[in-house]
Amino acid sequence: MVHDHDFKGHLHGDNFQISLVSHSQITRLYSRFTSLDKGENGTLSREDFQRIPELAINPLGDRIINAFFPEGEDQVNFRGFMRTLAHFRPIEDNEKSKDVNGPEPLNSRSNKLHFAFRLYDLDKDDKISRDELLQVLRMMVGVNISDEQLGSIADRTIQEADQDGDSAISFTEFVKVLEKVDVEQKMSIRFLH
Amino acid sequence: MMMAKKWAKFLRDFENFKAACVPWENKIKAIESQFGSSVASYFLFLRWMYGVNMVMFILTFGLIMLPEYLWGLPYGSLPRKTVPRAEEASAANFGVLYDFNGLAQYSILFYGYYDNKRTIGWMNFRLPLSYFLVGIMCIGYSFLVVLKAMTKNIGDDGGGDDNAFNFSWKVFTSWDYLIGNPETADNKFNSITMNFKEAIIEERAAQVEENVHLIRFLRFLANFFVFLTLGGSGYLIFWAVKRSQEFAQQDPDTLGWWEKNEMNMVMSLLGMFCPTLFDLFAELEDYHPLIALKWLLGRIFALLLGNLYVFILALMDEINNKIEEEKLVKANITLWEANMIKAYNASLTGNTTGPPFFVHPADVPRGPCWETMVGQEFVRLTVSDVLTTYVTILIGDFLRACFVRFCNYCWCWDLEYGYPSYTEFDISGNVLALIFNQGMIWMGSFFAPSLPGINILRLHTSMYFQCWAVMCCNVPEARVFKASRSNNFYLGMLLLILFLSTMPVLYMIVSLPPSFDCGPFSGKNRMFEVIGETLEHDFPSWMAKILRQLSNPGLVIAVVLVMALTIYYLNSTAKGQKAANLDLKKKMKQLQLLVASNFHRYAGDPGVLLTLLLKSNDLCKVPENKHCGVAILFKP
Repeated sequence: MVHDHDFKGHLHGDNFQISLVSHSQITRLYSRFTSLDKGENGTLSREDFQRIPELAINPLGDRIINAFFPEGEDQVNFRGFMRTLAHFRPIEDNEKSKDVNGPEPLNSRSNKLHFAFRLYDLDKDDKISRDELLQVLRMMVGVNISDEQLGSIADRTIQEADQDGDSAISFTEFVKVLEKVDVEQKMSIRFLH
Repeated sequence: MMMAKKWAKFLRDFENFKAACVPWENKIKAIESQFGSSVASYFLFLRWMYGVNMVMFILTFGLIMLPEYLWGLPYGSLPRKTVPRAEEASAANFGVLYDFNGLAQYSILFYGYYDNKRTIGWMNFRLPLSYFLVGIMCIGYSFLVVLKAMTKNIGDDGGGDDNAFNFSWKVFTSWDYLIGNPETADNKFNSITMNFKEAIIEERAAQVEENVHLIRFLRFLANFFVFLTLGGSGYLIFWAVKRSQEFAQQDPDTLGWWEKNEMNMVMSLLGMFCPTLFDLFAELEDYHPLIALKWLLGRIFALLLGNLYVFILALMDEINNKIEEEKLVKANITLWEANMIKAYNASLTGNTTGPPFFVHPADVPRGPCWETMVGQEFVRLTVSDVLTTYVTILIGDFLRACFVRFCNYCWCWDLEYGYPSYTEFDISGNVLALIFNQGMIWMGSFFAPSLPGINILRLHTSMYFQCWAVMCCNVPEARVFKASRSNNFYLGMLLLILFLSTMPVLYMIVSLPPSFDCGPFSGKNRMFEVIGETLEHDFPSWMAKILRQLSNPGLVIAVVLVMALTIYYLNSTAKGQKAANLDLKKKMKQLQLLVASNFHRYAGDPGVLLTLLLKSNDLCKVPENKHCGVAILFKP
């Protein structure tokens, strides 16, 4: 059945800090994993994710699904599944102060924002260019707004966010834009306590 | 080591258990997925109110109603606990019980039933003291819990600085990730598109000012109409309360259902129809939808508040009448007692041994009990409010949906897209109704300890009923405009209502004399004297002396001054820290610019960059931030 003590042992050795995930959470995530895995071969493919309605109708749904799959692969196993979901663990108060010198945990505010940033930055050059913004806007409003209006919206967005004048939004600028958003609470899944 | 691990595991399991115990989570998630997060926020608010009411119910039930039921004298033993002879015949009729008269009035549900004996039962439970303290504790607990919720949400608000990143926020944060229903998703797409179009228009229109005078005149006209409506509704309520007093004098059998419930119906109907009028007047004003929503909420708030206060004023009128009446009744009772004793002595002149002097409690003439009357009024108002809400939902939402769905086949125009179509869920109306109902509960629960219990029942059924109605008959909103980014707007209103509803209660406790023959404070001059009495009897005498010294006016004034100074000090500290915060942010920004602008020059050579940063230590003048530059550079 669920050999989660195996996983726990592996994860302790691994550098990313999933070691703070508990037995019951792993069980819960594994049962979700198996319910999504219709082919029952221990890995999830893109079609399995498309079956979730919230992802299917999300304009960024495909990109979110891609975030689960490592570079160039078509299947994700349970460890990869958990690694991506670890970004959405809530930040607990007693974790904030400890271990300042160690590697940053996956669910820190900075890593959460980085996860979101990678959804927009498709060519992975650490910048959201005007074209990438246009693509996102097109996905969000469909055909209801003309190209030239979309172009001016994209220009306006870059104008608001850009501080170093390179006509693109870097990660630091992205963080500044979302400074007032309560990312810790909005990008957290409650049951992953 | 094993113990620490086991303890950590136990804590985690307990947290998971607590999360699993949260009621109605699945229902709310289903609503969230279909209607988006703003509708779900209403149900989250409802659930939170349920929790607050549950605590109030446990306090009133456990510390007032239960001891009286277990250890108090039973029904029929005292005059205050018995239905008067004149009303006995009809005391158990449904009509009478529905009005909370008859048997319902002379029960633990209301203030008048409780006896004023200092202790009851074998445990010497001090009932009057407990009654008073529970009343004060409920108010104090409510304040605490609302303030706590507000401070928790204060981070959410973000100081309202979203105008700096208007378009970026629209691009990055407009999608509601909790939506799972395709129809809602379509609505969301449309609303996002609408949002963008409006933002573009606003950018352009910010420069154009058209026809200021006409707009100002129209807005003045709209406000004038609104004042007329508010005044009209206030007068209507006052008139209805006066009429209900007249009806109370008449024989209840001659009154129809409408006359008996007139006042409650008038209040509920006003609350239902005036907001639509306000909506109509707002058409004249031509504001941006977000601002128009705020005006509408403000006006509905003023309407409900005005109604509530007119109701209280009319009630105060009635209370003063009853207090006057009491004096007459007292005089009558002494006469009646004298007559009774004369009659008894007359019956004794025959035989020396006769039946002992006994008067059945139902025959004793009663004083008017104004506290029970107040409690009854609030209970009746709550019940009629519940019924009006449910009937409105059934007719306005359910029947309308049935009509639109089934008559669409044989109708000239498309009912679903044109008029009347399905109703949308009116979030702000529902939240305001919830807040005002809670205000009534806070006002009435001192005089009717059963009111929190009735409210718990109501919230419980409301949850299921409204969840069903929303999923079955409503459609998601076409345009989503939240009144504020956080819940603090509604919590702020709740706090205001809490303050405004506890003021009349405190006034009544402090300045009105309790009735002489009903309730736990009968016979005292003022209700709060029970505290003084407790201090005398139950505490050692040195404590009473100390407390008497403490209530010295000079000391009290000094304490109040110290508290005012503390508030002022804390306020200015908070302001100073906010300013320091902004200052630090500015410095960080400057530093980032410095790093970014020099990075291409010294790219890849951290040593030079470090020297540059350490040299520019004037940017890091704040002592704690000596390493601020280094921290930014080496942050992973």
